[in-house]
Amino acid sequence: MLLRLRDIARFYGRRLVFSDISLDLSRGEVLMLCGPNGAGKSTLLNIMAGLVRPSSGTVLCNGELRIGMVGHHSCVYAELSALENLRFWAGLHGLRLSDKELTGMLEHMHLAAFAHEKAGTFSRGMTQRLDLARAFTVNPDMLLLDEPASGLDEASLAVLRDETAAAAGRGAGVVLITHRPGELSFSACRVALLENKRLRLYDDFDAFRHRSSEERAC
Amino acid sequence: MLRAALVIARKDLRLTAGRSAGLAQAAALGLLLIFLFSLSLVPGQRMSAQGASAVFWMASAFCQVIIFGMLYGYEGGKGQKQGLLLAPIPVQSIWLGKALAGVAMLACAQALFLPASIIFLGQELGPAWKAGLVVIFICDAGIAVAGSLTGALAHGQTGKESLLSILVFPLLVPLFLGGIRVGSSAFGGSGEAIGDWLGICLAFDAVFTAAALPLFPFAYSTDE
Repeated sequence: MLLRLRDIARFYGRRLVFSDISLDLSRGEVLMLCGPNGAGKSTLLNIMAGLVRPSSGTVLCNGELRIGMVGHHSCVYAELSALENLRFWAGLHGLRLSDKELTGMLEHMHLAAFAHEKAGTFSRGMTQRLDLARAFTVNPDMLLLDEPASGLDEASLAVLRDETAAAAGRGAGVVLITHRPGELSFSACRVALLENKRLRLYDDFDAFRHRSSEERAC
Repeated sequence: MLRAALVIARKDLRLTAGRSAGLAQAAALGLLLIFLFSLSLVPGQRMSAQGASAVFWMASAFCQVIIFGMLYGYEGGKGQKQGLLLAPIPVQSIWLGKALAGVAMLACAQALFLPASIIFLGQELGPAWKAGLVVIFICDAGIAVAGSLTGALAHGQTGKESLLSILVFPLLVPLFLGGIRVGSSAFGGSGEAIGDWLGICLAFDAVFTAAALPLFPFAYSTDE
């Protein structure tokens, strides 16, 4: 067990966002978090990361986790080059990676040709790819991705799928928010649906799809 | 903690070097203040050593407000701040890294303010100038320690520059007082008990550091 949430509730002011959320995340597991806009998916992800305190409930971590997170707000420094960005974040995580290794990660993300260009000149999709490269580079125990596919082309989506599966293969627990679960289907993953202030868990993508179609029919 | 602080300081200095404004803007403001005070003198008149020292520290004070506003502004995009807070480092590393970058930038600006004070305010270096350099360093350390904490407090607030000034200036009065007295001796003024003032400045550095270490995690968080 990597992370355990028990009876989590969160209010914004007097508005209840969600309550009674209990969830375990294991090493090597991929959990897709779905739900309509405003359901509180990003808030829940931030609670998992420790960036937001729950209004009630407990969050238990298995030791000090190395977290790689890609949220709505980019971590990229616009005035540093792509390579300098990766070098900074790797250094901050105590990783001594050579420029060759960092360039290799940029190459994975189809950014090697832009390694020495300032990130501020990048398009939205390129910035997203650089953010993902940063999250994968720090070799995380827990990977938290908030709509990582936004702004990505087909080739980058394939890289995202491969790198996420590889991170899970190395033992990282992955939580991934998406509005289009089919777009990022993994061979083995649980699906969590956050809706009407509650969380429902499905053992795999097929169970979620089947349940969804039944609910739609109703 | 020191390793992470150095990584952050190096990044901030790299970002500052890449900007055309920023430090140059802060230094220009300080130089302008020194020049404006020189206009209060009639040609050939020499400002008192204590007055010149006060102008030097006033220029440094305004400069540091801009510096720490700028340093915390580098994480203005929210995502960068979240990234720093998620890194497996003591959160105080961020405070220390910003303080280290701030002290380096302030020293660069003061390397301009010092000759400008000598030229525009009609000063000359007295026998205590070496002690003056030591006290500049000690006061800069205190300014950076307090400036980094208050910069974090003001970060993300509306009107952060004015809030930063309101928060930091009262805290720094003892350091400025020591800096002005010892600086006055360095400019050839009457030598007061330099050792006593150095001790006071060092004591305030220690107090600010001891206060900043536990307070910084509360000043710099993302929780709403």
